[in-house]
Amino acid sequence: MLVDAFLEVLNLWVLVAAITGIVSGIIIGAIPGLGPTMAIALLIPVTFSMEPIPAIILLLGVYQGAIFGGSISAVLLNVPGTPSSAATAIDGFAMARRGEGGRALRFALYASVIGNIFSCLVLMALAEPLARFALDFGPAEMAMLMLFALLVIVLFGGGSKLDALIMVLVGACAGIVGLDPISGTPRFTFGSFAFENGFQLIPVLIGLFAMSEVLLQAFDREPLVGDVEVPPLKSSVVRFAELWRMRVTLLLSSVIGTFVGILPGIGSTVPAFMSYNLARSRSADADRFGKGAPEGVVAPEAANNAVTGGALVPTLALGIPGDAVTAVILGAFMLHGLAPGPFLFRDHGLEVYAIFEALLLSSIPTVILGLLFFRVAIHVTRIQPRHLLPAITILAIFGAFSVNNSLFDVCVMLGAGVLGFLFRRANFPVPPLLIGLILGAPFEQSLRQALLTSGGGYGIFVGSPITVGLLALIGLSLAISLALSLRKART
Amino acid sequence: MRYTRRSSLALLAGMVITPLAAFAQQDYPTRPITLVVPYGAGGTTDISARQIATMAEEILGQPIVVENQPGASGTNAMRAVASAAPDGYTLIATTSSPSFVTPALRDVGYDTLSDFIPILNYSGPFHGVVVPADSPYDTLDALIEGAKSGAVTYGTAGAMGGAHLAFASVARDTGAMLQHVPFDGASKATAAVLGGHVDAALVPAYRDLVQDGQLRLLGVLDGTNDPDFPDAPTLKDAGLAAEFPSIVGIMAPDGTDPAIIAKLEAAFTEVASSDAFRTFMTDLSQPVRIMPGEELAKTIEENLNAYREIAKGLGN
Repeated sequence: MLVDAFLEVLNLWVLVAAITGIVSGIIIGAIPGLGPTMAIALLIPVTFSMEPIPAIILLLGVYQGAIFGGSISAVLLNVPGTPSSAATAIDGFAMARRGEGGRALRFALYASVIGNIFSCLVLMALAEPLARFALDFGPAEMAMLMLFALLVIVLFGGGSKLDALIMVLVGACAGIVGLDPISGTPRFTFGSFAFENGFQLIPVLIGLFAMSEVLLQAFDREPLVGDVEVPPLKSSVVRFAELWRMRVTLLLSSVIGTFVGILPGIGSTVPAFMSYNLARSRSADADRFGKGAPEGVVAPEAANNAVTGGALVPTLALGIPGDAVTAVILGAFMLHGLAPGPFLFRDHGLEVYAIFEALLLSSIPTVILGLLFFRVAIHVTRIQPRHLLPAITILAIFGAFSVNNSLFDVCVMLGAGVLGFLFRRANFPVPPLLIGLILGAPFEQSLRQALLTSGGGYGIFVGSPITVGLLALIGLSLAISLALSLRKART
Repeated sequence: MRYTRRSSLALLAGMVITPLAAFAQQDYPTRPITLVVPYGAGGTTDISARQIATMAEEILGQPIVVENQPGASGTNAMRAVASAAPDGYTLIATTSSPSFVTPALRDVGYDTLSDFIPILNYSGPFHGVVVPADSPYDTLDALIEGAKSGAVTYGTAGAMGGAHLAFASVARDTGAMLQHVPFDGASKATAAVLGGHVDAALVPAYRDLVQDGQLRLLGVLDGTNDPDFPDAPTLKDAGLAAEFPSIVGIMAPDGTDPAIIAKLEAAFTEVASSDAFRTFMTDLSQPVRIMPGEELAKTIEENLNAYREIAKGLGN
């Protein structure tokens, strides 16, 4: 089977499709606001007339390329192209400021490829058993998992835990606006139809990170009349030994990304931040994080790319997509006669394994294309801010508008930009706010769903081995965090 | 009458415009048509609308541009199209939820009955009542009976959706304790019933999971049987006075010229009943269900009224 499938991959059109997909993915991902979902949706009609295997490879290439592409603008401009690369921006941009943008990009590229390969292998080997396992995660289990994720963000983010907690709560409160997930009644919409959708993630993200960056730079510097000194570009060589030293971080991040990817509805931003915080808390000199530590780039990038393979597990094995991107990919599989679900592997095993193998092999063109792309992209750091900032502003407005073709989203983006600017000026960390917004509403929904299924009994939260295990993890991380701060207080 | 420059200009303009107006209906369309889709790009509604648009372009002789306006369960796009110029150049490909479910619950800023002219219905996924394979319930009756002695939970794609309201009315009529658990989309409700976290789910796209024996189909919420499972009863077959017909159809803003509507209905019906379109929809696991505009209008009206009644009972 694997050999037959491999022969299917040895086709010029597969290569052309893979390269087209990756290139368009990287470019679209690098533009804030244009995520993989939109890119894939726009390319689906293009694939109508193609053979199934190249068509799917093209679309999955876009998916992988876009997740990686988001990190390019995150590293070079501190403007995450996709929500999942917000964590990469922290240390990636710090490196770029030192003139090590090229190195940061290469670390991101290699980590992305490793995360991809890892999750792809998991998908090939264990798709069906893992999909079964994912089904064991009901509302109660999801609620506990999200609580754990929120705790990791608050406790191990570095900096003040209180600040992080406040920011998470601000994000969660913003998530309340919109329709109540259980009763469907509007909350805090002030009678406006536009508010019923709530605050969408992408406009908020662009505002918090891109727009606030523009405001920060505009207000922080001396008047931008003369040319600002730009650090010289340093060598961008990344040695294999450097990556080898990070093998545990790479592996752990890939595992977190794949695992969270399998579970529906969490997405790739949360595992990226969880991996970042985990790498930081494991690091011998955690103080370097946030100031340009390569591990701070590697951890989130491996995780957010590993999500792609994980998210395909329930999509393909059960026909149940976990998020918008995989829902679109599911539609593409169907259109090409490969209906995902329990019969996919039985009826179309050859095509599916050919697609997986092509995904693995597409790491090679990804690295080559990535490195070529960097040569051009790196010069972005040498553009004068007074030229760059208006361009970012235009991109931010365009990106926010393009999500729903709605001006309301542009206003949300501008509001989030001002808020983000104020928070960042006051030294509050912005990422926990984003995580609070992402997880707040689903956490509420899972909690209330669990209570609905249990008839209001709280026993459901200790009712399965998974919830007990997650509770133990929550207790453990609280204990570790407490012990660490006690030890710090003593010395 | 003196022929001033102004009056002769007016006369000239009148001479030019009068035939043009008549001409416009005959010659419609003379420029690209916009077909609004109230959901994001890439979903089944979007993909099928793009296909029907592409195929209708050949008949109408003008490009049809599909525009996605997602958000607020489709009501944003409906509101936008309701207020668009009724010239036949702005149409909407819409579904049950923004047509007769959400408008029955709260003010959405448009009235489906008076603000739109339905052109035709071309699809609509069947919604099934499914339980896990190891469930004690073999029939709809057994499920309802079971719910009389203890709460039975059921998952749907979201709060106050058509599936929820249909079962809410079943619960009211039979006195069964059916506890609704809304999920964020039908796929998550399917995952929850597969994992045994809810006792039943009311979801579309169940075919393969039922054929594989992972789920058991007790019935369908639609007014007609699912051709893939002719033995699964409708709620009415099972003696329950509720249904949730699923529609996917094309509508134009009210006030559009009847000649234009007739032309569009003819073109879209021709496309929707073609073999090529049927094959396309089968690949997408979607049924082709053709219903002329008048019939669609009737379906929407009946259901809007029925859902208003149910919503009243829920205290909304």
